[in-house]
Amino acid sequence: MSKLWLVALDDFQRNVFKKSFILALLSVPLFIGFTVGLGAIMSSLKKNNAPVGYIDHAGLLADPLPAHVNPSEKPIEFLPFQTEGEARQALESKDIQAYYVLAPDYYETSKIELVYLKEPGTNATRQFYNFIQINLLRDQPPEIAKRATAGSNVTLRSPDGSLEFPTGGPTIGQIIPIILSVAFVFLLMMSSGSLMSGVVEEKQNRTMEVLMTSLSPTQLIGGKVLSIVGMSLLQLVTWILVGLLAVAIAGNVLGIEWFQNPSMEWGTVLIVLAIAVPSFVLSSALMFALGSTVAEAQEAQSVGALFFMLHIIPIYMIVALVEAPNGILSVVLSLLPFTSLITVGFRSIFSVVPLWQVAGSVAIQTLCALGALWLASRAFRLGMLRYGQRLRFSEILGKAKAVSTKVSLS
Amino acid sequence: MNPIEVSHIVKSFGATQAVADVSFAVQRGEIFGLLGPNGAGKTTTIRLILDIFKPERGTVSILGGSMTEAKKDRIGYMPEDRGLYQDIALERCLMYLATLKGLSKVEAHKRLEDYLERFDLSAHRKKKVKELSKGMQQKAQIINTVLHHPELIIIDEPFTALDPINTQLVKDLMQELRNQGTTIIMSTHQMHQVEELCDRIVLIDEGRDVLYGNLEEIRRQYSGNAVLVRVVGTLPSLAGVETISYHNGTTKLMLMKDTSPQDVLNTLVAENVILEKFEIAIPSVSEIFIRVVEEGDR
Repeated sequence: MSKLWLVALDDFQRNVFKKSFILALLSVPLFIGFTVGLGAIMSSLKKNNAPVGYIDHAGLLADPLPAHVNPSEKPIEFLPFQTEGEARQALESKDIQAYYVLAPDYYETSKIELVYLKEPGTNATRQFYNFIQINLLRDQPPEIAKRATAGSNVTLRSPDGSLEFPTGGPTIGQIIPIILSVAFVFLLMMSSGSLMSGVVEEKQNRTMEVLMTSLSPTQLIGGKVLSIVGMSLLQLVTWILVGLLAVAIAGNVLGIEWFQNPSMEWGTVLIVLAIAVPSFVLSSALMFALGSTVAEAQEAQSVGALFFMLHIIPIYMIVALVEAPNGILSVVLSLLPFTSLITVGFRSIFSVVPLWQVAGSVAIQTLCALGALWLASRAFRLGMLRYGQRLRFSEILGKAKAVSTKVSLS
Repeated sequence: MNPIEVSHIVKSFGATQAVADVSFAVQRGEIFGLLGPNGAGKTTTIRLILDIFKPERGTVSILGGSMTEAKKDRIGYMPEDRGLYQDIALERCLMYLATLKGLSKVEAHKRLEDYLERFDLSAHRKKKVKELSKGMQQKAQIINTVLHHPELIIIDEPFTALDPINTQLVKDLMQELRNQGTTIIMSTHQMHQVEELCDRIVLIDEGRDVLYGNLEEIRRQYSGNAVLVRVVGTLPSLAGVETISYHNGTTKLMLMKDTSPQDVLNTLVAENVILEKFEIAIPSVSEIFIRVVEEGDR
């Protein structure tokens, strides 16, 4: 096995069993699990499958057609009562969860009364109204009955008309780019943070000099970067699998319509990926440089937190981005390093980001990433043997005089 | 071809000249002392030899030429700043570093077993490095330096933090390695260890080599013209003696230029003096070190 792979494997094995990595790996699945679980609990608390009674003074439900029930739901039994007294008795003895009273002039007034001791389940209410609709439309041709029960169909359009949302808002497929963007930002911050800690650790352990007489700098840096890529992939794959599982559970088991038949906007996903790759290199190189520059891990983490803040600036400007997804602020944030990933992902929900802006963002971030790599290699060479000493930015930029007094001599 | 040949190397860091002009060669199978006061340029010289720094002028030949990646596996280095991974188990740490030196895991494990046993660290193999005492960490560092059986070892202050028993253990190891043909460069401030172990030395002061050669020859060169004498009874008056001094029952006689130790011995025998001790006074390395460095300061 080459030394590069030995470094990568050892670094990977040492990091994946750290509490911080395991916590980060599980944070997203736990968050998704918690959210889906909480939703399922809330949803089940609002459901009640007990029978529902009705008193039909209007003669609408004399020979009723059954309600159309969603396959994921259990059909509610609707029990007719002749008098309200009988229905009330059944309600008090808990044979039914509630009862409806259709007034004699229901056809003219649409007046319907609901009587309950404890608010009935949302599934019961929904199924009863469908039951009424079906029976009101029983004399209509099937296509008219079907259309009428389907209700209104509102199409939402983005302000510039470039995007349409079916009913009530974006689909799960439409919000995947922003989910991916945020996931990538967390991923690249965590992984580049690990890279930084790795370099600081080598300095703190004084292992750098021993390693430099066993390996080339390329083997050391390459091995560490490979390890970080491996850790990132492990996280990404875990998160994607958990995300898919959560969508499947929410859509198929819990019957939440929004999660059913998700379709992906592949073009937008590719745009996010194109920006994410140079962002990843840029952040990793900067964190590597930072690790070579500082004296202690704690100091590096404080500075690293600032980079994280830069990435999430678009979240604080979310209102401005929604109001003008193609405005000047949106375009500027899309082009700038650090802010580009989340801005483009977010804008993709409401508008089509012009190709020149995507290309510009990728180009700018690639140039910055190359600059950061240069910076990182200089910082590494100058800082690798400076134990317990901080490297100044001016020194990295080549003002050699300043370096002279700092290198440990004997 | 000598394993190391250093010729007029110069290295500066900005305005500070760390190494001004150093030349020496290290022969195969010897223990070579790299000596000098603090800040003399020893560590920079070592880093120049190991290609961690590049010299501005001069040349370094290591194992027959310039440093290459392949040669790194043939060198063992224990730097002044000790380096082991503090948060992992001792065994794992040493195994990892050994595989980076080109050893297979099986071979590394086999050799490590022997060395851990020899250095009395077997019981501590599963402990994190940071849980070990300084002396144990020092022994672990030495194991890391020699585990891959390098043909050239550069070792900085090998006896720091070691008790007399472990010091002897390390000395025995170094002598054993020398007998097997390993070349060792040892940088240390412990002059009695230099006297005991080193075949040849170079003394660096203010970035320049100020003393270089065979240790015994250097000591003879700096011995001056003195003898140490201990007799039964009173020492008679002797001709050709410049000064007399006493130390722990021994008399040190500084002789005049035209008087030899043999002349003094002949006189004492002729005077029927019963001798308990008669030896030519040779200065310790420590005395030579101080003398040379002080002369340099003047």
